[in-house]
Amino acid sequence: MIDYSINIDEAIRYMGYRGFTPAEREMALIKDCEKQLREYIEPAWIYRAFPIEQTEDGILLKGTSLILGGSDIRGHLEGCGSCVLFCATAGSKADELIRLKEKEDMIQGYITDCLASAAVEGVCDALETELADKLPDKHLTWRFSPGYGDLPLDIQPKILAVLEAGKRAGVSCTESLLMIPRKTVTAVVGISDKPIAKKKQGCALCSMKDRCTFRKAGEHCGS
Amino acid sequence: MDLKKLLTENEFVFLDGGMGTMLQASGLEAGENPDLLSITHPELIESINLKYIEAGADIFYCNTFGANRLKLAKTGKTPAEVISAAIKIGNSAKAKASRTAYCALDIGPIGQLLEPNGTMLFDEAYDIFKEMILASEGADIIVIETMTDLLEAKAALLAAKENSDLPVMVTMTFEQNLRTFTGCCIESMAMTLAGLGADAIGINCSLGPRELRPAVEKLCSCTDLPVIIKPNAGLPDPLTNEYNVLPDEFGQLLADMIPLGIKIVGGCCGTSPDYIRAARREFEGKKYQPKEFKPVSAVCTASNPVFIDCPRIIGERINPTGKKRFKQALQEHDLDYICNQAIEQIDAGAEILDVNVGLPGIDEKEMMLAAVRAVQGICDTPLQLDSSIPEVLDAALRVYNGKPIINSVNGEEKSLSTILPLVKKYGAAVVGLCLDEDGIPKTIEGRVAIAEKICKRADALGIPRHDICIDCLTLTCSAEQEAAMQTIEALRICKEKLGVRTVLGVSNISFGLPQREIVNRTFLTMALTKGLDLPIMNPNIASMTSAVRAYRLLANIDKNAQEYVANYGGETPAAAAPAVKQEDMTLGYAMSHGLKNDAANITAKLLETTDAMDIVNNILIPELDRTGAEFEKGKIFLPQLILTAGVAQSCFEVIKDYLSKNGGGGVSKGTIVICTVKGDVHDIGKNIVKVLLENYGYTVIDLGKDVDPMLVVKTAKENDVKLVGLSALMTTTLKGMEETIRLLRENHECKVMVGGAVLTPDYAKEIGADYYAKDAKQSCDIAKEVFGQ
Repeated sequence: MIDYSINIDEAIRYMGYRGFTPAEREMALIKDCEKQLREYIEPAWIYRAFPIEQTEDGILLKGTSLILGGSDIRGHLEGCGSCVLFCATAGSKADELIRLKEKEDMIQGYITDCLASAAVEGVCDALETELADKLPDKHLTWRFSPGYGDLPLDIQPKILAVLEAGKRAGVSCTESLLMIPRKTVTAVVGISDKPIAKKKQGCALCSMKDRCTFRKAGEHCGS
Repeated sequence: MDLKKLLTENEFVFLDGGMGTMLQASGLEAGENPDLLSITHPELIESINLKYIEAGADIFYCNTFGANRLKLAKTGKTPAEVISAAIKIGNSAKAKASRTAYCALDIGPIGQLLEPNGTMLFDEAYDIFKEMILASEGADIIVIETMTDLLEAKAALLAAKENSDLPVMVTMTFEQNLRTFTGCCIESMAMTLAGLGADAIGINCSLGPRELRPAVEKLCSCTDLPVIIKPNAGLPDPLTNEYNVLPDEFGQLLADMIPLGIKIVGGCCGTSPDYIRAARREFEGKKYQPKEFKPVSAVCTASNPVFIDCPRIIGERINPTGKKRFKQALQEHDLDYICNQAIEQIDAGAEILDVNVGLPGIDEKEMMLAAVRAVQGICDTPLQLDSSIPEVLDAALRVYNGKPIINSVNGEEKSLSTILPLVKKYGAAVVGLCLDEDGIPKTIEGRVAIAEKICKRADALGIPRHDICIDCLTLTCSAEQEAAMQTIEALRICKEKLGVRTVLGVSNISFGLPQREIVNRTFLTMALTKGLDLPIMNPNIASMTSAVRAYRLLANIDKNAQEYVANYGGETPAAAAPAVKQEDMTLGYAMSHGLKNDAANITAKLLETTDAMDIVNNILIPELDRTGAEFEKGKIFLPQLILTAGVAQSCFEVIKDYLSKNGGGGVSKGTIVICTVKGDVHDIGKNIVKVLLENYGYTVIDLGKDVDPMLVVKTAKENDVKLVGLSALMTTTLKGMEETIRLLRENHECKVMVGGAVLTPDYAKEIGADYYAKDAKQSCDIAKEVFGQ
């Protein structure tokens, strides 16, 4: 069983509290929703390591025809000889609970949705911990997802196909590139023999930077 | 030996091993479409087919797993071309082989999830599978495999049954928790697929033979169909993708499962001809040991089987009869109202829900489909599909995920000849009413005779007795006092003599009497002691539900009083004491503190003395305005805004209910159509907007998510709507928004407001929207501007 945690403070930020603390009553509701959500989350993941090769079109994952395009991923994987491609999900029952809660009581639906977003990040954190354990002699970059920077979103179906994420994690992708279950993340983590200069994750790379509601409020999303 | 015999005789049947594994060993890259190789490299595919036959496979799967129109979309090939090439190769391999084998049309998942998890509709999935099945000429059998969604498996199986005479095997993919990724459990899988006519069912992929043993054991106890097991070669190393079980061990582990009752074995990912050879060796000289199966009476959804081995409560509230508010909801296509009726009954203890949406003047078939989809989207309680029109039932039976009850058939010839074939075809359970052309028989014997007639007709079609639920019919006690005991006695006889389950609508007994609850409850208890299995009743009345639970306790069904104590033993949950005493609380206070129930109660009380519209205009709206203003100033945040809106919603529900009972239609400030656009399934933002707009007195037609642009246009035109709200969350779905606006401009004059995470005011302008709403509050301001109030 995958041991993950839900960062409640993070979820509260997603809810739009802008750094303020929810009132006691709201906090109790958030805690109740979290307790229930935990029973519905069925974390699953699938990952695989690939040697990588720089090509004209981008970074090729050897043994596949998946090419990671754009200049940002090139920078991200600088100095890495291989990478881990992964898909992690909170599972379809979490979606089910959100659907139910929205009908029953919109506020609980909204809170549960934000908590589930935090939960899948927690699953990704757990996966990174496992990778670090499995690769003790290696150095890992942070996770870089399609849609971030100029790594195109349209490689999503290919990533899922390479990982066989449908049968191994129950994840699929609609024609408009939405992953289902909705609380799912795919990402690339670089593997290097040498220590990696920790590049700062920040808004500058993010494709949402001009549209983000956090930034409009003078904040950042925390990823 | 021919194939049917192979499946039915007491012999083991061997399948092949992994195709993808063999192809990858020959150089196929991970993530590539292997189906085209049947056209580009036929000799490679043939050699794999042949190797498996020679290794001992009786049935081998042709290279058609992903040959559906979606997966082939960008290849320039049609499913028919790819499938016939693969089957031709299979037949060529058969001809060259030194032993007899049969080739299967192999059908894997579409790759897109069906509603409610994904966006694909049942009919589209059916069509995709049908196209594959129509190309199956030359195949000996159809295999549907690696399914995780029971409804998708059902679409494929129905397509096979309706378009081919070949035998069909179905296998699904289970995880260690004995569920598929979409939550389908083994009991539900077994009863649903058996009901739909699968020839063999089983488990493939996901795990190795060691990990799958518990799932196999469970499945063997749930079915009398031949059981298939086709595991992976153990578990793959996540980093290298190498599997950890070698051929000999694989064969041994499979053979260890013979006592569980398996009949058909093979391998999936990571297995090769060596694995099949090893399995054959291990099975040599061993005998098939079919497990004795005791059929049970049950219904289910994909994730929730309900066994009718003791009284189960059927909630009767999703039914417009005598309910003005419900009729209004149907006329307004208000599916949220129906969903809430479902949730309320389930919370109160309903274990099955009757769904009846028949109302003169509405399209019952369309409404039934919408209701079944909506209710199945939010809960896993099995449904009893209730309609007098066979076409409505047929449509609902197709899209229902699981095994439902049909309500109902009766002793009339017309009913018997139209309803029972549906029961058989879809493997449903059915309510049989003890009435016929001559009405309800006066005597006990008369009713039992009709029940017998229904049973005999069902027998002839092969419908098992445990799927028949006889309703001896409750008559109104105030009109026919002697009838109550007759009903109960008829029920007892039917159950004992016919081996059926029994069902009764309970509430009718007390019609016209005072204190109806007393009579209902006593009648219910009397019937339970004589063998009533399925009371159809209002579970929201606590004393009715508690009577069933108390019966289950006293009849020694609820062991150690677990259920009883769980429901009635705890302390009454103490609601956090509000700072204000209940009697002093104002509606404004309740709203700003998120006290939903208090607010609803205060509203109900206010309605005794105050005009409904005064409450709305003088209390609710000003409070919402105040909250909205605070939100804009950044004094409160989105959760608090939604909280207040949710409370207001509960007040409006009380007012709506009051108005529909007292003849007033309420005053709508205008009608707005909203939806999440084509391609997008993120609808929480849109749903929040809906609640707020309704709070302000607008009638909102919510078309849901992933909505076809033309439906928006059609709805806007039909209702002469002045304002349309569109939501999109992804950059990839903005196209859908733009297209919807374009079509609206061509066909209907109205204002369009747009919102969603990726939108900006500039972009909104660029795609031709009139307004950009940065949040839910602003959408209300826009509505005020458009409607001038």
